[in-house]
Amino acid sequence: MNDAIVLRQVTKRFGPVFAVDNLSLAVPTGSIYGFIGPNGSGKTTTLRMIMHIILPDEGEIEVLGSRGTAAARDQVSYLPEERGLYKKMTVRRLLRYYATLKGRAQPEIDAGIEEWTRRMDLPGVLDRPIETLSKGMSQKVQFISAVISKPSLLILDEPFSGLDPVNAQVLKDAVLEMRARGATVVFSTHDMSTAEKMCDRIFMIFKGRKVLDGTLHEIQEEYGADTVRLRTAAGVHACDGLPEVESLNDYGQVQEVRLHGDAQAFLQRLIARTTVYHFEVTRPSLHDIFVRIAHPQDEEAGVS
Amino acid sequence: MHKMLIVASSEFGTLVRSKAFVLTLILMPVIMGVATLLMRTAKDARDTTDRRFAYVDHSGIAGPVLQAGAEARNATAAANGVARFQPVEISAAGKSADELRIELSDRVRSQEFFAFVEIPRDIADPDSTNAIRYYSDHPSYGALPDWIRSTVTRAAFAERFRAASVDPSVVARLTRPVASSNLGLFEREASGAIKAGEEVDEFRAVGVPAVMMVLMFIVIMASSPQLLNSVIEEKLSRISEVLIGSVTPFELMMGKLLGCVAVSLLLAMVYIAGGLMMARTYGYADALTPAMTAWFLLFLLMAVLIFGSIFIAVGAACNDLKDSQNMMTPVMLFMMVPVFTWVAVLRAPDSTLSLALSLFPTTAPFLMLLRIALQPGPPLWQVLLSVGLTALATVAAVWAAGRIFRTGILMQGKSASLAEMVRWVKAG
Repeated sequence: MNDAIVLRQVTKRFGPVFAVDNLSLAVPTGSIYGFIGPNGSGKTTTLRMIMHIILPDEGEIEVLGSRGTAAARDQVSYLPEERGLYKKMTVRRLLRYYATLKGRAQPEIDAGIEEWTRRMDLPGVLDRPIETLSKGMSQKVQFISAVISKPSLLILDEPFSGLDPVNAQVLKDAVLEMRARGATVVFSTHDMSTAEKMCDRIFMIFKGRKVLDGTLHEIQEEYGADTVRLRTAAGVHACDGLPEVESLNDYGQVQEVRLHGDAQAFLQRLIARTTVYHFEVTRPSLHDIFVRIAHPQDEEAGVS
Repeated sequence: MHKMLIVASSEFGTLVRSKAFVLTLILMPVIMGVATLLMRTAKDARDTTDRRFAYVDHSGIAGPVLQAGAEARNATAAANGVARFQPVEISAAGKSADELRIELSDRVRSQEFFAFVEIPRDIADPDSTNAIRYYSDHPSYGALPDWIRSTVTRAAFAERFRAASVDPSVVARLTRPVASSNLGLFEREASGAIKAGEEVDEFRAVGVPAVMMVLMFIVIMASSPQLLNSVIEEKLSRISEVLIGSVTPFELMMGKLLGCVAVSLLLAMVYIAGGLMMARTYGYADALTPAMTAWFLLFLLMAVLIFGSIFIAVGAACNDLKDSQNMMTPVMLFMMVPVFTWVAVLRAPDSTLSLALSLFPTTAPFLMLLRIALQPGPPLWQVLLSVGLTALATVAAVWAAGRIFRTGILMQGKSASLAEMVRWVKAG
């Protein structure tokens, strides 16, 4: 078994809308797989189908080598984007409940709770009701609730959204730890730099169709080395009216410019105009590639 | 099956921690205490505040009798635990009737008098239709007007007898009512000895059945509506999605129902135990027979499953708490039908209405139970038919709720309409 998840020509319609359209995908065992895509492009629908929460209209989904509805259930954990926690329950009761449902035994569960609360830096929360926890804390508890049953496959919908850098780092470390323990991790994210840095492979879905699938390197190769990152005294106005500029992304201090034509010619024109502090020919970032595929106006019109 | 029990035990744990459960438990000793107090004082609970009232006597014969009657009553009022009445005569001279009424009404309002009464001129005339007019701002207090009516009537009788040259004491002796008593049936005991019918005990005949039905209602109200909140919470916070990753929707729903059944049984047991303890103190230990307890538990089980399923279905179909409250109101009204109708069933347990209500599945658990508890009880075929129909309805409710639940808990967006729910049930 090389692939933890295999999707073959999967289609899911909601009424007249194709939420997922003829999608094929293979997630290798032991990898970290990132799902990216604009809001409403079908990420969550795909994750839910993998979890058998909803069933595809067409096509085939195989999870951990099994096509049955419930066979692999106890080996798979899912974290929905919203909290998915009982507000009134104490953390300990909740974690025990979720893990017992996955068929784990009590002593094993309690050892896991002990270990994960230490690792996630959550001292003294176990007997507090969930509703008294901060957002960061409850997001960590939610994560523990997914990993406490020692799943072979972990599916996370937007696990890092809304976290401060410290908590985000704790969760990222925890995801890496799960991979180190042999689990396959699939997560969706809007944070391109997280996807770039963490994922072995990245998959992008747009309007229900697969538009990117591969390692970061493969994806960047496909989009060529046509991007220049530059910092000049004139700022964004340095590029005004230059013929090589196809598009420009202004970060304030730094501009990223997609070129058509020669980078050297472009540099010469710049030097003629202003002082150049930094000039780097680079591959487009995942962010750029994302934006190129999903123009903002398309995102607005996306499926919701 | 195993996972269903895990869900059930978690649901049970949550339910027994809920406010409704704790309140209902606390309520038990309170209800028992109040019931005890009521039983102890029901027979002699009287309002013993003095009642000063004004009367305008147009007859000229009622006044002295009222005064004398009040004196006789007041002499033993303290010993009898009744209120003392103090009649004050008001002269009508020189005022129009309405002016006097306004004046007296104001004096009642200022609490100088409790009430005032006008006694018509011709009370001694047997053909007169003029009435005693009693005015007060305490319309629910009956003791005073009743006393005035009977006292004035006595005065009128005395005057009528006098006019007819009849000795009132002879009339009183000759018109004494015949005594009667209300007894149960004779029985022949196993030894062959004949057991005489005992005096009918109101509490045993009516109180026990009523208590059983109210208990059923309390237990169901304290447990099944909680399922709606539970389902809504899981749906809105996407807990359902996490759970469906571990159990099938049907396991999840059945687990919830089982947890709810367990809570109901626990509550019922606590109440029955408390009730039995109290009953023993008052000599009613045998009022609750084992057979009655068995019927109670059977009907409770079915009622919890039916109403639990309905609440689960409503919870699964709704997308916010407000919608669920709206949809809950008709269900609650439905649950209340026995509350509105049980007195009618109590008065005429064998009427057509009683039969219909005790066969209809949602009212049967309450009203068939009531009828079984009432002597001599309904014919066996009616009981069996009622149990059969309710059991069928239970299966149907659980089945339909299972289908609505399966679709509903993963449905986000707007709440489902009734038509949509029906479609989910049909679509399977």
